[in-house]
Parts: sequence; structure tokens; C-alpha cells
Amino acid sequence: MALKIKMSKIGILDVIKFATLHKTREKIIAKHPANPIKADYPINNLAKTLHPDAQDLVIDEIIEHIGADAKTYILKSADNKPCAYFRAGQYLSVLMTIGDSLVTRPYSISSSPKWALEGKYAITVRNNPEGFAAKFIIDEWEKGDHVTVSAPEGTFYYDALRDNEEIVAIAGGSGITPFLSMAYAIRDGIENFNLTIIFGSKTEEAILFKSELDKISAECNKVKVIHVLSDEKKEGYEHGLITVDLIKKYAPYNSSIFICGSESMYNFVMPEVEKIGLDKKYVRCELLGVTKNVTSCKGYPENIPATFNIKVKQGFEEYNITANSDEPVLVALERAGINAPSRCRSGECGFCRSKLLSGEVFCPEENEYRRFADIQYGYIHPCAAFAISDLELEVPGSYLG
Amino acid sequence: MRYDFVVVGSGCAGLAAACELKQAGKKVLLIEQHNLPGGCASSFVRGRFEFDPSLHELCTIGSVENPGITRKQLEAYGVNINWQKVPDCFRIVSEYSDGSLMDVTMPSGKEAFIAKMAEYVPDSKKATEDMFELFAEISAGLEYTSQGDENLNGKVLMEKFPNLLKIGSYPCMPVFKKLGFSQKAIDILSTYWSYLGVDMDHLSFLHYSQMVESYVELSAYIPEHTSHEISVAMVEAFRNMGGECLFNCRATEFIFDNKKCVGVKTTAGDIECDCVLANINPDIIYAKMMPEHAVPEREKRLSAARKGRYGARMFTAHFGLNKTAEELGIKDYSIFMPSTADSSKEYESLKKIATNNYTIFLCYNIVNPNFSPEGTSVVSFTTTYTSPEDWNKVTQENYFNVKDEIAKKFVGLLKEKTGIDIKDAIEEVAIASPMTFSRYLGVPEGSAYGFETRDWDGIIARTMGMEFDYTINGLIPIGTSGIRGDGYSSNYACGQLLARYALNKQGGNK
Repeated sequence: MALKIKMSKIGILDVIKFATLHKTREKIIAKHPANPIKADYPINNLAKTLHPDAQDLVIDEIIEHIGADAKTYILKSADNKPCAYFRAGQYLSVLMTIGDSLVTRPYSISSSPKWALEGKYAITVRNNPEGFAAKFIIDEWEKGDHVTVSAPEGTFYYDALRDNEEIVAIAGGSGITPFLSMAYAIRDGIENFNLTIIFGSKTEEAILFKSELDKISAECNKVKVIHVLSDEKKEGYEHGLITVDLIKKYAPYNSSIFICGSESMYNFVMPEVEKIGLDKKYVRCELLGVTKNVTSCKGYPENIPATFNIKVKQGFEEYNITANSDEPVLVALERAGINAPSRCRSGECGFCRSKLLSGEVFCPEENEYRRFADIQYGYIHPCAAFAISDLELEVPGSYLG
Repeated sequence: MRYDFVVVGSGCAGLAAACELKQAGKKVLLIEQHNLPGGCASSFVRGRFEFDPSLHELCTIGSVENPGITRKQLEAYGVNINWQKVPDCFRIVSEYSDGSLMDVTMPSGKEAFIAKMAEYVPDSKKATEDMFELFAEISAGLEYTSQGDENLNGKVLMEKFPNLLKIGSYPCMPVFKKLGFSQKAIDILSTYWSYLGVDMDHLSFLHYSQMVESYVELSAYIPEHTSHEISVAMVEAFRNMGGECLFNCRATEFIFDNKKCVGVKTTAGDIECDCVLANINPDIIYAKMMPEHAVPEREKRLSAARKGRYGARMFTAHFGLNKTAEELGIKDYSIFMPSTADSSKEYESLKKIATNNYTIFLCYNIVNPNFSPEGTSVVSFTTTYTSPEDWNKVTQENYFNVKDEIAKKFVGLLKEKTGIDIKDAIEEVAIASPMTFSRYLGVPEGSAYGFETRDWDGIIARTMGMEFDYTINGLIPIGTSGIRGDGYSSNYACGQLLARYALNKQGGNK
């Protein structure tokens, strides 16, 4: 052997030191006191405060928006502690028991992040007589009721590293809520960017939060609001739809565009925004849910029956349920009263990720956010997957409710 | 519900343990508090990008012809991954200890590594050759000793592995010096210290040698589609062997009958078993998840002796870019950018948010051009904090700003040190702080490295003292706090080793 290393003068002492490393370790351990172990870490505590499994809130106040046919609910933390802080634009997933169904709905927070520290949030719900959850909330929620919500979620917020500091927000109807929160955050000194909101409503009377928006833009020169009325011509308002010319009229050069509204608004506005020729990175849309008309999706197979059976495994329980083929698998789970996890309901957050043990689903392309390996190994996001055969599905547990 | 074994937590060690136990034909349940397996070994999607939250690279994969231990281990479970080879070992842009500029790129392969060392530090050839000879002796010696106590022959050890025995108790620095390296050479060789979270004055040379030898000889690899691919493939292999798993199922408490652990309380109900392998930091198990009377005195003393020195509180920033690596002038997979190559000094700087300017920059598309959609690329920045003090002071209110400011600083440092400017190409961004790691992994202070493998608590001492550890009947903590320390491959090995240990023990009990 060529190599001969000599550490200390007497080599054998090094050998002994090595051979007894573990005994030395035990001696050091034995010298320390046997006090009870504490595992209380500020870092972990803050993580829990920012990301609780669920938040128990109480309806503290209900504000009616008559012309807009909507209500704002002020929700206070049940224990009077601060709520989880958030980035203006994020949403809460609200858990509801409606009849035998256990459902969630994502609602953007419409209040300032500052409120969360005071233990409250506001969410705004637009009435939809045909809607399942919205109608339930409008009809049933009363002051003093408890509501279970998730931690704040979503990535629809201003990010200084990513976005231009000029933001043009295009909002339709109740799609104003995340932008209202952003406007408050700017006014309160929490966020620092220029926000130009182009806000489409049907009539002047139907404008949501008009006085709040006027007040903020009067107090804070970083927030500007342009109202666009589609069904009414009035002085001081833009009239018609939100076209590329209208956007260009108000959009400062080199803006990021944020969009939130109904499906029909997206269908009109997106092609208009595309005409500006902005790079993908400068256009961000709030999630929209999944299509209500899956049969017209590109690639949807023909001759699919109306219903399928799903064998569901969750924890140690098993269920046999029926699914309508024109609804996401998640809806079938909820209708059966299964507490399946879900948040964004748009395929994006992956919180409902489940293992498809057998059968086939159709996943619309615009809601395809699955991880590569998940597609490879047969995982689906039930909120954005439609049964096209009988299924066998393994669903994770839920911490909400 | 009754099982032979319940594995709590599907981190790298948990997944390996579950596969190993299942392979031995046991009835095994794997539970995971999230709806994803892997712990750190996972992925997340933002817009059109998929990001890897933690994997830099694996040094124990090796080629098909010359497989490393992790490739062999995973293949034995039926896990097949499309591994992609990382071209070089690393590039480091920093300052030598004497303050002069350092910009060094080290290749993989022993011969190339030695030649390159000699190019950068002309007098280092002999010492580098000696170091590799020493590495080889260490590997052979450790393999010989791992064959089991009965066969261990002190005389053979003395004859065949004298250098191993002599340097075995030393940290890196004195061994480097005895090998005759100049400070400049030591600076280059110190680059990997941050992988292990302990500086060269306190890191066991044996620990260092095991890692660096593997890096240089076997090259580094990453999976084609993020480390989620490894984790989900391991779950699949476990299921294929008949293993059961529950996701979004949280273990809240271990059930004890006197001093013996007999099961787990979970959010899906109580589960009985002969033995639990818990992929959880032992401090959390002892303080929060079991009756105090059942915590052995020795474990309390061990925890006190460790003084809460958790390793590497993680901070990562991930960017999806709307330009290609080529357009941005990125040529290297990994660039280490400590403010100084002096690892002890740098360890001190890493205590504070303001003084921590050390980031490791990665561009995944250099290894895998298809890592992200055409015309785009994905990069990340990683650093670690050697003290929780600044993070302890962060509040809900300033949390987002603190995170953003650090990420901004690293983007600026990259430009300053390499000329690479990604600022205007950022399409997606996700920043993970120690809070994020604590949220997803449940680890103390967002530390992904368990306890520092420092001085008396290094992995060699831990491994030699295995007989003293694992003092609770029916409950075995596994993971980064364990005998193999931090890192993916270390934890696959740890899970395997402790699953075998548990199988032996269970066999012995019956």
C-alpha cells in the first residue's frame, strides 16, 4: 500500500479513537439531563397560522347589494384570533352541507389582507337561481351561523418578481372581488403597484362595490377604476363590451393584464386581449371552474351513456355511487355525501388528486394541470375529470369539516 | 384494523421502508398526511411548468453498466426511472479563502477531476490522487465492516484498511491538510459542504468521502420528470407488491401498552400493528405523539445533547422562464455561489437572513431539454439557514415580503456573479421558506436535514452506535434524523436498513 497517512503522533490512539466513536457519543449523551423534550417552534407555529387545515368562522354581518343581486358576508374567526393572512386575490374554499351533499366552493376574498389580522374576511356571493351552492348561501346563510373554510389559496395575486408593476384588471360582475381586495391592499400600504380596473357591469345600478371603489380611488392615486356598462348608456361611463381598443385606451404601456369574470366574459375578452399581442407571462386569468358542456369539448368520445357506477375507496370505507357523465367526478362524490378533498374546482391545485384504479375518464385540455408522473401512473383530479366508463377510484381523506 | 407494520410518512425513508417490508412479505400500511407521496421528493405545477421542490441530483444512481446503490435498490422494488445524467460535477463562483476570485468548473470522472484540480491548483495532483486512493480504501473498509459483527476481524482491518482506521474519527479539515492540499485546493474541495449542512471543521471525513467519491466516480443523475416521478413510482411498486396506502391521513398519536408501541391513532381511525416505522423527527415524536412515561431517558438525554441543532432550514425559489437556457446564456446545470469558499465562515453567514448570500442555482433544462415546454426553461435557487433566529421573528404580516426580498436578492446575485439575468423572463414563481418546508414535511423549523451530522453526532458514530439507538419497543424513527443523515439516497438507504433491522427484531421477538 502506497498511501500512509499519519494523523496524530501515535497512530494506535487514532485507531482507538475511531473504534470507540460510538462509545464516546454515548458518554456525551449520558452527560446531558433527561428533561422532557419540547418541540415548540415559532417557524412551525407560523406555518400553521398561515396554512391551517380549516378555519371555523362565524357570519358576523350580511350586506345586501340590491342592484347586483349579491350579498357580502363578513366572516369572523370563531375564537377571535387572527385569520390566516393572505395575498390579495386569493380565495377561500367554503365547505357546505346541502341536503345530503357535502360540497365546496371557492370564493375570492373581497376584503383587505389587513382584516385577516383582525380576525375577519369578507366574501361576496352572487345569487344564481340555477346555481346549487350560490342559491343555498343566499337563501340559507344567516348571521351567527358557523362556516368552515380552508386556508387562503390560489396564485391569482400580484407578484413583484413576475408581473409588471402596472396592472390592468379586467373584471366582470362579481369577478371584481379579488381586485377589490387588491385595491384595499394598495390603499393600506400592503401592496405596492398601480392598479387600473376596467370593470364591466350591465347597468349603473348593478355595479358591485361602486361606492367602495370610488372611495379607494379618491383616497389612493395608485388605484383607478373605469366602469363599462354593457346595457346602458350613461355619461361618465364607457359603454359596450371590453374591447381591445377600450383596454388600450386605459392600459398604460407595458402592463400585466389580470382577468376575472364569468365564462361568457372570458369568451369575449380573451380574444380581445390576445389582439394586444402580449407575451403569455403578462396575461393571468383567475380560474373559472370546468366546462358545463363537456360533450362539446375537443376529443370527447361519442356515444357515452348518461350515468356510470363508481366504486369509491376512502380510508377503510368503500362506497358504490352513481355518476352523471356530464358532471365532474367530484360532483358525484359530493352528491353521495363523501367528504372528498377539493379546493380550486378547476383542475389546477391538485388537492383532489385521486388514484384511478380502473376505468376511463375524460379530462378537458384547458383544465389539464396534472403532474407528468401522475398522468403516467393513472392519477386524476376528480374536479376536472368526467367518467366515460364505470370507475374504481381511491380518494384521499379530507381535513375540512 | 391490524397490520404487521405501519409506516408513517411517505418521505424517501418511509417509501423505501414500506417497499422493503412488503418485499419481505409482511402486511404493511403506509400512511401519509398529504395527498402526495415523497415529502421533499415531490413536484408542483404552476401554469405550464412543473417544478421539483428539492432534488438537486442523486450521486448513487450510476449508469446501467455500473449501477450505484440507489439504482440497484429501486430496481429491486420494481421501480424504473428514466434517469438523466448531469454533465459536470459543479461550477462554483465564489471567493477563495484569500479573497481572490474563484470560478471553477469540476468534471465528473476520477481522471478528469484530478486533471482539472491540477489545472486550477498546480501543486495538488499528488494530494488529489492520494485522496481518491483513500476514498477507495474507505469504501472497501466500510463495506467490509458492514458485513456483520461476527465476521469482523480486527487484524484484517488493521492490515487492509490502516488509513481508514487512522482518519476515521477526524473531520475533513485536518485530513485535507495531512494529504498535503493547499488552502486553494481545499477551497475547491469544500464546495460540497452545504449538501451535508456541516462545515469542514466539523464534518466527518468519512461522511464526506462517501459522498464525493460517489459524485465523481458515478456522476450525478436526475429523474426525467421531477422527483415526484420517483415517489409515485415507489408507491406504485409498493401497491403492486400488495401494500396498502392512505393519503391525507395523519398520524396524531402512537398508542402504547405500557412501554410498547402497539399502534397509531390516525385521522382515518385507530390502527393496530406490531411495529411502527415513523418518518418523523424524533423530537416531535417524543414531545407530541407519545406518552411522556414511555419516552426512554436515553432519548431525552440525546435530545438535550443535540441542543436543537437541526440541519439546514431550507429556502428555495423556483422560476418558470419564458426564454430558453440558451437565450439566457445559462450553460451549467448547477452553480454554487457561496460568498466565500471558507466553509466555517460561510456556515456563520448562513445564520442570518441579511448575511446569507449563498445560493445554489440550477437550470434543469441543461440536463433535460424537455423539462419544460418549448421556448421555456425552469431554474431554481436554494439556500439553507444554519440558525432559526431570524425566521423566528417573522410574522404573518411581513412573511410574504421577507420571502420575496430574499428571492429578489438571489436573482440579483446571479446577475452580479455570472451575468445571467432572468428578471424579465419570469413567467411563474414559487418561493418556499422554512415555513413552507415545515408545513409540508412537519419537520422542526423547516429543516430538511434532521440533526446536524456534526462532531460526535456524525453518521459514522450514529451507525456504529446503532445498538444504543432505537430504544422503544415497536417504534422506530426513520428519516434524515437517522443513521444515514440527509439526502435522498441516504434516506432510501436509511429506510431500507431500518426496515431490515425491524424485520430482524420482529423475528427475534417471536
